[in-house]
Amino acid sequence: MMLSSVHVKIIVFLLAGFVSGYAGNIYAIDQKTGIDEQAQLPFWEVSTGGMSLRLIQRLPIQSRGYFLARGFNATQAERIARSCIFQTVFKNTSQGGQPGKASTLEYNLNDWRVIYKGKKRKMKTRQDWASEWRAEKVSKPAQIAFEWSLYPTSQQYKPGDYNWGMSVFNLEPGSRFDLEITWMQYGRKNTAIIKNMECAPDINPQPTEAL
Amino acid sequence: MKNIFYILIMIVSLTGMSLAMAGEKKQTLPAVAKPFKAPEFALKDENDITYRLSDFRGKVVLINFWATWCPPCRIEMPSIERLWQKVKGKGIVILAINVGESADTVFKFTGQLQLSFPIPMDTKGEVIKKYPAAGLPTTYIVSPAGMVTHRAVGSREWDDPVLMKQLMAMRIPNRNGK
Repeated sequence: MMLSSVHVKIIVFLLAGFVSGYAGNIYAIDQKTGIDEQAQLPFWEVSTGGMSLRLIQRLPIQSRGYFLARGFNATQAERIARSCIFQTVFKNTSQGGQPGKASTLEYNLNDWRVIYKGKKRKMKTRQDWASEWRAEKVSKPAQIAFEWSLYPTSQQYKPGDYNWGMSVFNLEPGSRFDLEITWMQYGRKNTAIIKNMECAPDINPQPTEAL
Repeated sequence: MKNIFYILIMIVSLTGMSLAMAGEKKQTLPAVAKPFKAPEFALKDENDITYRLSDFRGKVVLINFWATWCPPCRIEMPSIERLWQKVKGKGIVILAINVGESADTVFKFTGQLQLSFPIPMDTKGEVIKKYPAAGLPTTYIVSPAGMVTHRAVGSREWDDPVLMKQLMAMRIPNRNGK
């Protein structure tokens, strides 16, 4: 029943993997892209043992229809639709970690940066849009719908909390850019850069022809 | 000997995976850092019935802010209805406050899902700002003493046994201590 040193090393390696798998590695940052199953559109995702952020393309035609139905006129709906919108889901997943490793997550979109053609700039937040809508005397119900449809500018998530909303990067359809994100968790500031994101092109998808 | 070794490897790996997966599905209702007095409101539902928060003093009140266009709000609505069917008349009240939509829109939606709990309407989006929620859905729990004690951001399975037990434990015990 004696274990060789190789066996012992393998067991130690697996136990370490087990512990870090259960705890989730709270600092290591994973990134992936693919096609979102529900939206059937490209997504970019960042996750650690304590959080996950998924940004899913929204087609301009989707946003155009959505905001027309909520009281915006055609010009305003067009402006929103062509502003590079991503459906955003940001979760505090730290509850799945090692006992005692659950941690509050905080972020502020004003700290995030869109990197486009070598230059950095802020995102366009609820507050930026609100002043435009007030100046244009947009109806109150439309303003309310817009405000709550957009991703919250800042938020604090306890374990298990998350939001779902639209993020606006204010670029032309089809533009490619990097996104620098920051968030506070486990008592420290965390940063990641999501490379080569792409604003959805302004296309009008046709139904697939039946065979 | 080799078989025992490989079985051990499989047990360790599978246990780790299942623990990690179980952790991700856990439903949470976190306490707020500092409980605060629940802002008072009086809102009407689609049938013109007025709901005043202070009318429910002595009960646990679950205040859920939502809208029909918000996907996670729609996801959690059936579980709120199931919760309502289980806690109705047992010292827990549900007020699902619609944010910024018309009575017609709310009526169509609630009809589709056959929701029976009270749905007051914050048509001007003023009550939600008092709490203050930043996104939809956000749910606050108001204690029988009128204090906001817990907050859940994002959808939950509200009839999950863990959450139900947590809510039931917040009620004022009756004379039998139950």
